[in-house]
Amino acid sequence: MKFTGIERQLNILDYALHSLARRPGRHLSITFIFALVIFLVASFQMVTASLKHSADVLLKTAPEITVQKMVAGRQVMMRVGDMARVGKVFGIKEIYPRVWGYHFAARNGANYTIIGLDPARQRQLPPYLDGVKMPLAPGEAIVGLPLAKLLDLGGRRVFSLARGDLSLKSFRLAGTFPAASDILTGDLLVTNIADARDLLGMKADEITDICVSVANPAEVRTIAGKISRVMPGTRVLTRDQIRKTYQAVFSWRSGFGSICLLTALAAFFILAWDRASGLSAGERRETAILKVLGWQTTDIITLRFWEGGAVATMAFLLGVMAAWLHVTIGAAALFRPVLMGWSVLRPNLELVPVTRVSDFIIVFTFTVLPYLAATVIPAWHSATVPPDAAVR
Amino acid sequence: MIELIGVNKIYNQGRANEVHALHGIDFSAEKGEIICLQGASGSGKSTLLSIIGCIFGPTSGRAIIGAKALSRLPDRFLTLHRRETIGFIFQQFNLISGLRVLDNVALPLLPLGISPGERKKRAMVLLERFNLSHRADFRADQISGGEMQRVAIARALVNDQPIILADEPTAHLDTALSHDFMTIIAGLKETGKTIIIASHDELVSTHRAIDRIIAIRDGRLHVS
Repeated sequence: MKFTGIERQLNILDYALHSLARRPGRHLSITFIFALVIFLVASFQMVTASLKHSADVLLKTAPEITVQKMVAGRQVMMRVGDMARVGKVFGIKEIYPRVWGYHFAARNGANYTIIGLDPARQRQLPPYLDGVKMPLAPGEAIVGLPLAKLLDLGGRRVFSLARGDLSLKSFRLAGTFPAASDILTGDLLVTNIADARDLLGMKADEITDICVSVANPAEVRTIAGKISRVMPGTRVLTRDQIRKTYQAVFSWRSGFGSICLLTALAAFFILAWDRASGLSAGERRETAILKVLGWQTTDIITLRFWEGGAVATMAFLLGVMAAWLHVTIGAAALFRPVLMGWSVLRPNLELVPVTRVSDFIIVFTFTVLPYLAATVIPAWHSATVPPDAAVR
Repeated sequence: MIELIGVNKIYNQGRANEVHALHGIDFSAEKGEIICLQGASGSGKSTLLSIIGCIFGPTSGRAIIGAKALSRLPDRFLTLHRRETIGFIFQQFNLISGLRVLDNVALPLLPLGISPGERKKRAMVLLERFNLSHRADFRADQISGGEMQRVAIARALVNDQPIILADEPTAHLDTALSHDFMTIIAGLKETGKTIIIASHDELVSTHRAIDRIIAIRDGRLHVS
């Protein structure tokens, strides 16, 4: 008699699939619930990965080092002349000024972020500004899509914002940031440095940041340290620090959501345990028949394992596919309130799906493996049905 | 082929609900012999069939089935020995209702690692032998009682086991179908199978194919 382990496994798997098909109600319900749990976990994982990825891509255009003056723990203005002190540090390729601040719009209760860039630096705004003629002409501005909607421009290209003294400052819309960058540009208005100063009520030589690019990227931390020493009382931020701050914020929010989802996951595994351990009279009889016909206890455990594996695999595929659609097409509608929402201006998020094998492995590890573990002991228990139950 | 010497079976030994089901059973069956086992409900008939069927061993005594002493075999080897030696035919047929007739017949072959093609071939040979090839793709719960019985016989033979045990096989069959069943059993005798049929049915006990009738009462054998 020919005996092969693989054929035996395939035969039992074949029987397991037939067995699932014979009790569709029972198995479809557990598959559906499990798929729902996997959908939630996978969506969260994918949204977090996409957000981190988006932040990474956009931060590539940020200056390598940003210097800000601090007094009493709060940021204060610097003068254009302060840039000369930074320029003495060896290894710096370029220094340029930047102005930024918040504009409160009483009409809708939102804060807009205003950034004023030196015209020479505006060419570095791409890659997300195709079609916008650079540098910006005086009075021109680029805004995030959510902000453009909030300004309710309709077909108009010109809009006004109120200065501190309530007089109006007019801007001409040069373009909008693409939706893919909403996460960082949702509430943003970028204009010339002089126009920004005008709107924010700053003096002609005042700046908020000194932006630094270095000749050798490996030297960023060293140069940042040197700047701290030549300009005491300043905060020197590297791009890597800003990235880590973003990652930490997303990770914290993701972790909070994950804890909530893990609670749901735990509840599901208790349900799975309960379902797997509660054999119906028909299932007990079937097990007894199989054992009388020569199936070993290990064959029955294998059968239950394949049944569980098929349910888990089907649920995993359904859950992950639904999560992918939810994140890419549905823009993660279920999780946006948790992961986003820093201000009144909610980004109109278009997530770039980040498909990483490691994310799938994480979801698989935290869902399918515990499910199989939760059902294996009840499966063993069910396999110990005595065969004489079929004879009586 | 089958030899029981001083076999006792006690359930729940040493407990308040202890049941002494078999008392010093001595019994033997030769190759190609057909024996009818008669006994009322609770007489120990199912226990005796279970020991002969290698479902469990005796509490004491020797049970040698197909040249192997059961009392020395652990459960795992008992199962291996059962699937190589014993074919079962049940009173309720015990088919898996949602499965096709063909798959029911091939059920004992699955854990043996036999390929789907070979399984189908072996099952179809038996279905043709019992005029059931046209029902191969029907679900087991879609065929008649007589057909179910023949499917159960085919399943008991699919692994070519030398011993067939049948527990009240005609209890759910009418006279004509019961007669058909015994005709099939008589045919199996010619192939050298040893068959033990537990039955109250006179049609079975009086059939010409039956070599011996053994009665069991209160766990003790009475040979006629």
